[in-house]
Amino acid sequence: MEKVVQQTDYDALSCRLAAISKGYLPSVAFQVQRCNYHGYKEMHMEYLHSLKSVSRRIHSKIFRAMQNSFPVMNYGTYLRTVSIDIQINDFLKSHSKFQNVQIINLGCGSDLRMIPIIKNFTNVTYIDIDYKDSIEMKRKILDQNRALKKALESDDDGETNRYKLISCDLNDEAQTVRTLSESTSSDSPTIVISECVLCYMDDHASKQLISVVLDIYKTGIWISYDPIGGSKFSDRFGIIMQSNLRESRHLEMPTLMIYNSKETYSSRFANCNVEIKDMWDIFENDIPKEEISRLKSLQFLDEVEELKIMQTHYVLLKASW
Amino acid sequence: MNCNNSGKTYMVTLEGTRQMNLDKIIILLKQGKHIREDCVYSLCIQAQELLMNESNVTHVDTPVTICGDIHGQLHDLLTLFEKSGGVEKSRYIFLGDFVDRGFYSLESFLLLLCYKLRYPDRITLIRGNHETRQITKVYGFYDEIMRKYGNSNVWRYCCEVFDYLSLGAIINERVFCIHGGLSPDITTIDEIRSIDRKQEVPHEGAMCDLLWSDPDEVDTWSLSPRGAGFLFGKGEVDQFLQTNNIELIARAHQLVMEGYKEMFDGGLVTVWSAPNYCYRCGNVAAVLTIDGQLERSYTIFDAVQSQNGMGHTIIPTKKPQMDYFL
Repeated sequence: MEKVVQQTDYDALSCRLAAISKGYLPSVAFQVQRCNYHGYKEMHMEYLHSLKSVSRRIHSKIFRAMQNSFPVMNYGTYLRTVSIDIQINDFLKSHSKFQNVQIINLGCGSDLRMIPIIKNFTNVTYIDIDYKDSIEMKRKILDQNRALKKALESDDDGETNRYKLISCDLNDEAQTVRTLSESTSSDSPTIVISECVLCYMDDHASKQLISVVLDIYKTGIWISYDPIGGSKFSDRFGIIMQSNLRESRHLEMPTLMIYNSKETYSSRFANCNVEIKDMWDIFENDIPKEEISRLKSLQFLDEVEELKIMQTHYVLLKASW
Repeated sequence: MNCNNSGKTYMVTLEGTRQMNLDKIIILLKQGKHIREDCVYSLCIQAQELLMNESNVTHVDTPVTICGDIHGQLHDLLTLFEKSGGVEKSRYIFLGDFVDRGFYSLESFLLLLCYKLRYPDRITLIRGNHETRQITKVYGFYDEIMRKYGNSNVWRYCCEVFDYLSLGAIINERVFCIHGGLSPDITTIDEIRSIDRKQEVPHEGAMCDLLWSDPDEVDTWSLSPRGAGFLFGKGEVDQFLQTNNIELIARAHQLVMEGYKEMFDGGLVTVWSAPNYCYRCGNVAAVLTIDGQLERSYTIFDAVQSQNGMGHTIIPTKKPQMDYFL
């Protein structure tokens, strides 16, 4: 199961690369102007390039997958990526006076957000956490690639490195407590990111992870993106998703039908102040008209209903405590 | 013409052997078997000859069964025929979008073409917005052909057939069938007859709109979120019905979870015939039968299981890429 879950990172990466190659990402309005991300496409191309020398097999898998992505997938990748970027950016901007703000990306995979964020916010410590194999691959790539390495190196004044890559099995409570206590500060305002992470954990392990994290850090926000199975009687999306993923790649989503709605998903963060939207809400209400027409100009979006079905089954949660 | 892959040769000499040959190809197609490139070529040429003589808006008699999008879901297409009588007994109109998205675009399209050649009066094929070179390059048909043949010839042959498909049909002068919907450039059905349809679908204009537009709760013509065609409302539909003295517009093009959806006091219906669309949407499918009195009856059907009773996979689930966000 561990391997199968790790491999979902290749999907996320190839989706992001596909969205970049078609021009969905970077979004000038959101990522460049609002979040001040620069060189977004370049850093991803650098990563892909170095991935090739680390593992030809994974590279060719990702390269193949990114060639045939449907518009409906590109829209979803766009929505997921920019809406998380905005949440992070808004929190960091409102905490610019703090000496240290930390970001803990649980199940980080190949995510490259740390590069622009570390550059833009000198008070940020960024901790990427994932399974050992995923971390080793990412470390190799970042070490090998001069441009990426340089972007993540210590500040000129010789301060300690503000970026950490740490391996940890988040299903293991004791290991998680130990890792987080050793490598992070419990007093600093903290952003926890879990992007398609909780959905692969069983109920018990995910509850433990949430309670461990909320216990350790005094204050912060948790940004979580996950699928929800759907709660209406006639809604078969979740059941079909579980069986498709099980049949095609032995991937399990144990809590998809437990936390199957915005309400039940939010209940996992009972003691927090929770805001939750499904990705269709975000598409309909939070993306300005000019941005929508830019997206429309990139590819014909064949099936709006299909996009709606997909995106109403994914949520973005922000829990503050 | 040597059309099967088991070593036997079937020569097309007389009409009888042609039909026998078509029947054999139909059997192969139903099993999802590989059809040789030269055989596809021959079918496509014959289909072009036949479709060339059809008008832009074909006349069809009742009773007839109207079918929506198929999208390469061959096994569900077979269910459709099973549940609605079959082409040997019933008359059919297919509203387009035979290809793309599903795993068996080629087999689904060729099966419909073979039926058309074998029973020309019993099946009408209308062009959908996916029956174009540009869209099939993005949405899977082109890739499917490259995967199955290693070159794009078969894709090209099929695209040439697409150019000859009718744009619409009219049942007993009372039910208008079209893939997408109305166009601000079209007031009467006669105006559709004057379109030069034998071309790639343009990015704008009447022909594009007919294949791309959607009905919606709008006051007047509005921009479509799809990037082509328009949204049109009850006003436009009522006007079109009245001007052309018809009672129903039957169209497809939009996924409907319940298989069909009537709108605007029953003046328009969307029919969707791809159950569990893209193997993940969880919808049911429907076909609409119009009888001699123009009464409507819907047949609802569900997707076939991805495995048969023996546990054998009939729909490949090992896709090169999984269409979920993970």
